[in-house]
Amino acid sequence: MVDAVAAFVAWLGASVVVLADGRRGLALGAAISAAGMAVLALDVAGPVAAGSIALGGVVAATGRLRSGRAGWHVMPAGSTPRLVLCIAVALVALWIAAALTTGPGVSLRFTAMVVIGLSGARVLGADEAPALFSATGLLALAIALAAGTGQPPAAPWPFLAAAIIAGGVSWITPRIVRAA
Amino acid sequence: MQPEAVELVVLAAAALAFAVVFSPAAASRRELLGKGGAGVLGAAAIAAVPTFDLALLVLLALGVLHSVIGGKRSLAIRLRGPLVAVALLGLGAFFARVQGPDAMERFAAVGLVAGLAAGVGVLPYLHPIDPDEPLVSSPVAWLAVVGPVLAAVVVQRAQSLLLVDAAGAFGAMLIGLGLINVAWGSAGAWLTESEAAAWRYSFVADWGLVLCGMGLIVADGQRAAIVMLFSIVLGRLPLYLLSRTAVRDKSVSGRPVSLVVAAALAGSAPFAGFAARLLLLRAATQLFWPLAIVLAAGMLMWLPGSLRLGRSLGLLKGRQAVGIALVLAVNVAAGLYPLPLLLAAHL
Repeated sequence: MVDAVAAFVAWLGASVVVLADGRRGLALGAAISAAGMAVLALDVAGPVAAGSIALGGVVAATGRLRSGRAGWHVMPAGSTPRLVLCIAVALVALWIAAALTTGPGVSLRFTAMVVIGLSGARVLGADEAPALFSATGLLALAIALAAGTGQPPAAPWPFLAAAIIAGGVSWITPRIVRAA
Repeated sequence: MQPEAVELVVLAAAALAFAVVFSPAAASRRELLGKGGAGVLGAAAIAAVPTFDLALLVLLALGVLHSVIGGKRSLAIRLRGPLVAVALLGLGAFFARVQGPDAMERFAAVGLVAGLAAGVGVLPYLHPIDPDEPLVSSPVAWLAVVGPVLAAVVVQRAQSLLLVDAAGAFGAMLIGLGLINVAWGSAGAWLTESEAAAWRYSFVADWGLVLCGMGLIVADGQRAAIVMLFSIVLGRLPLYLLSRTAVRDKSVSGRPVSLVVAAALAGSAPFAGFAARLLLLRAATQLFWPLAIVLAAGMLMWLPGSLRLGRSLGLLKGRQAVGIALVLAVNVAAGLYPLPLLLAAHL
């Protein structure tokens, strides 16, 4: 039951990242999604992995609050296609995780697929650095979480690396340079 | 580290050394050494990390770093290629690991092939190119430095992740994608208006042959792929670097050396591209001979584009002329005697 709630929370956070354009909305989405993934990581890779993801999420959310469009800007006008995307991706991921694939870890499979899918979609659809980097951070965390679907227990290294990337990328301020 | 990847990292380092020594603009040498060195180190890290997931995270970090070092294209365009690659490769690896019907394995093969294409920057995910953009921040860095190592790692990991049937599908998709890139790249290099885009398409066409070689599961196919990658990293990339000033200035040259360069770019004998093409045709005849006919027909399409690119080098003097001579000599040596290349890759 806890895993199912964590998977839902991870999807909710990733959906907020997809639906938000403001710094507060993006930060909230990153934090919520990382919290859900941290709970799932506790089961598959232990406390070090879970702590890494949680810390990475907190640092990412804090860094996101530094720059970007002020305010929440969750579901601005014209975001209906993004909302439909979030629901459709969740339904497809749920079908694959619960009906097509077998074995324990339905929540883990759902979360890995849905967060990777939504992050990838956000990268394809966004033009602004804050949204792109928020999606990048979530993608890193989800890639590490997907490592937990393997047969042997997952090592904490991918989670640590993902947390460093997720935390670091949110503090980057891109610059434009002229050709040499 | 797998020997193929080690060899490709060494080749990338050699290409970087060439770029630093023979770069036309003095101001860009420091940038080439610093940022290009970071790119080579990143490529080495992709090959060196023990698990596929860590390799994906290194690729992600490298993609972010490459996108923030600047350039003329927008951040979103620079970031999308590597990030989409990571997402697709991650989904591919995920589907390969989960238990379920055989279709999951096929999904895994699709994800790995599509992710590889997005990471390298070949069809169906071509990275836009700007002739005024510095080399280190241009998509050529993915086509010629990171891409070869990434391809070696993905193909090697796919062999361990996928079961026999899905591995066959993976190989077939690589061949199909390779043929599309051969046709599109060679036609694009010939017909496109921009010289910079023509160079990009020529890389894509070469990558088509690499993908075909990697998809052919026989040893000759793998050998063809490694020799073709050598031809990209230490043939086409240095020649592209030397052509950048002329491409920007839109100056062309019809001197005899242009014909020799065109021959090298087209994969004529005795250059390395010719050895790669011979090995590829031999591998194709071992598996399915009609494929060799299609490949041979595709290889003829290199000629018009290569003649055009040979002329685009402009009038080179001094250091750049020495650079061209060196590139041609190295490619002739590898074409006449590719055995050391193959032995280094344990092929």
